[in-house]
Amino acid sequence: MSLRRLLIILVVLGTWEAVRRLNLVGPLLLASPSEIVGAFVKSWPDYFLALRFTVAEIASALALALIIGIGTGIVAGMVPFFGATAGPLLSSLFAVPLITWYPLFMVWFGLGTMSKIVYAAVAGFFPIAINTMNGIRGLDRRYLLFGQAIGCSRRQVVFRILLPMAMPSIVSGLRIGTGLVVIGVIVAEMLASFGGIGYLISYYRSIYATGHVYLGILFALACALAANWGLSLIEHRFTHWRELQIGER
Amino acid sequence: MTSTMPIVIETRGLRKVFSAGRAPITALLDISFAVREGSFVSLVGPSGCGKSTLLQMLAGLMPSTAGEVLIDGLPVRKPAPDKISVMFQDATLLPWKRVAENVEFPLEVRGTDAAERRERAAAMLSLVGLTDFGARYPHELSGGMRQRVAIARALAPDPRILLMDEPFGALDEQTRIKMGHELLDIWSKTKKTIFLITHSLTEALFLSDVVLVMSHRPGQIVGVIEAGLPRPRTYDIIGSAEFGAARNRIWKLISQDDDQSGDNGMASL
Amino acid sequence: MKAKVLFAQLSFVAVVIGAWEYGDRIGAIDPKLLPPPSEVAATLWALLQNSSFLANASDTLVRVIASFLIGAPIAIAIGFVMGENISIGRSLSPIFNLVLAVPQSIFLPVFVLIFGLGFTEKLIFGITHVVFVVAVNAMAAVREVPHGQVVLARSFGAGKFRIYRSIYLPAMAPQVVTGLRLGVIFAIIGILLAEMYASRTGLGVLLLRWGESYDVNKLMAATVLISAATILINEIMRIWEVRIGRWRQAVEEQ
Repeated sequence: MSLRRLLIILVVLGTWEAVRRLNLVGPLLLASPSEIVGAFVKSWPDYFLALRFTVAEIASALALALIIGIGTGIVAGMVPFFGATAGPLLSSLFAVPLITWYPLFMVWFGLGTMSKIVYAAVAGFFPIAINTMNGIRGLDRRYLLFGQAIGCSRRQVVFRILLPMAMPSIVSGLRIGTGLVVIGVIVAEMLASFGGIGYLISYYRSIYATGHVYLGILFALACALAANWGLSLIEHRFTHWRELQIGER
Repeated sequence: MTSTMPIVIETRGLRKVFSAGRAPITALLDISFAVREGSFVSLVGPSGCGKSTLLQMLAGLMPSTAGEVLIDGLPVRKPAPDKISVMFQDATLLPWKRVAENVEFPLEVRGTDAAERRERAAAMLSLVGLTDFGARYPHELSGGMRQRVAIARALAPDPRILLMDEPFGALDEQTRIKMGHELLDIWSKTKKTIFLITHSLTEALFLSDVVLVMSHRPGQIVGVIEAGLPRPRTYDIIGSAEFGAARNRIWKLISQDDDQSGDNGMASL
Repeated sequence: MKAKVLFAQLSFVAVVIGAWEYGDRIGAIDPKLLPPPSEVAATLWALLQNSSFLANASDTLVRVIASFLIGAPIAIAIGFVMGENISIGRSLSPIFNLVLAVPQSIFLPVFVLIFGLGFTEKLIFGITHVVFVVAVNAMAAVREVPHGQVVLARSFGAGKFRIYRSIYLPAMAPQVVTGLRLGVIFAIIGILLAEMYASRTGLGVLLLRWGESYDVNKLMAATVLISAATILINEIMRIWEVRIGRWRQAVEEQ
């Protein structure tokens, strides 16, 4: 963290605070950094409790989306007929605004965590499945032949050769999918929930506690950035060879 | 030289018809030939004539529509990795594994223990002259080196038969020539049976004892040419009269086939 | 195989609908949770003749179209500038990519706070959804322009306008259209979300209201309608994308 960067950040924060103090922007629109800090000092236990709640939902939804998404993607990639049939269906369904299905999910699964997990999982499922399918389909067939020729069972071919090779595509699907899962959970909480970060954001908005709203948004942002960061780690671990490959050309 | 050795690869009336889509396509028609143990046999033919299909059938990767493939007198129904190794034009190395790990991979799949694997990989890498490259990644190597790793990998399970599908096709000419020499060197050291597919007449004749000539689709064997050239072979043999005569014989077979089909299959000669 | 695939897809849809209807009839599916397709269709038909529903639907439609029509040109311009001007592109694109990575919907409550519940605010929310995705695609489109051709054309003394029209346009078109297609989808999502969260009119409001009152019939009908409409729009734009791609090839061959 260079001195210059630190200075820029301080200047930004200072201006932000000043803008609020001088009432250049009203209290309902903008919360100053000090207000946000104040909100944190006052209510951090609630926020961390809500965070646990939200993170648990994100984790469950992500796990579901991952398993079903990658599984479907593998089958669609390996079995040409299934892939040709399911592929276009998946792509078309992906365009549907899933948020419009949330009220139905609420009716079917209640207002609790279940509806959020299902909703977010479905949201994450599509990009993961589509990208996995395309990743495997796009592989040079010779890798499959090679695996068979050295005596790999079907399972070994998939898990030890094809999946690692398709990793770059799978990871880019994961990128999008994770983003959608995180938004999905938080937005669903904002719309109708008993707990979680999204719920806090909505609640404080309804009582016009701007500082608390901004704090909630920061927490939500933190979730998104953390997920992104985790994904970068995975990306690096599983696809570092690809970056190098591209670099050498 | 090898005429008293037993027959290790044999095909009898092999035929392959692909029936997906509208009209059925006959890729291979009545392929029959025999390869003796320890010999180096090449198959030349125009692109699209079914050479790769034939290779896959020899490797047990594809079933035949009619006829048989026999290895050691036994019909081939599925891959036999302990007897046969296959090499493709693209080295098909696993890019996320290091060179040594790639060479070990076939042994890993069959459950050989780690220490033995490593020893064997080191031995193979030294055979192909890449001892110091075990810790590198495939993308750090040149095309020729990658093919050498592929050869090391193919030899790791100590197969008796090596099937190669245009292994040097993607390389530039100089590297190709060099690799040809190295392959012959490895062959004389390891005494394997090698069956190599190429569309280069020169390469086929330079490397092999026998050259099988295949027609365009539907692929048939239109000729079996004994190279009749002394070993060990060096590149200057290509200028010799015997080489030229043998090459002409092959060329005649191909151009007859071309005339009959009215198409220019052998552009790369 | 194409025919077989199509047949498989159609029969899959038919089987699902058939099983659904059958499940309701024999009581395996609770009609209070998931009404049979026949009832959904009937409800949909009734809704389409209901003036209140149509009024809400048109509100939503107007907001989507407006945010798209305003946002898309701005975004294409921004994206083009970002692509052409390397320094601007380098400084702005990380921000754009960050925004796309970070869910914009989280800013919804802030927007609601800031701008209240009126038409403009929802519009702006929709516009932001459109702008970022279209701009990123427009910027990527600039990369598709074959630089060599541009240099060549300039050396022949071709004017700027000429170059833009005959080289830039066909090269950029496919990627821009992809961006537009995504922009439409994002606009729909943004507007519906804004309506669900804080609005008095629009399809989003109806959905949430029906959800809260367990009016499953209307909820199902409206949801299916919106889904079908969106799929249709997506497919139409995809056809356009393919057409443009072919057009670009034709122009290049000249």
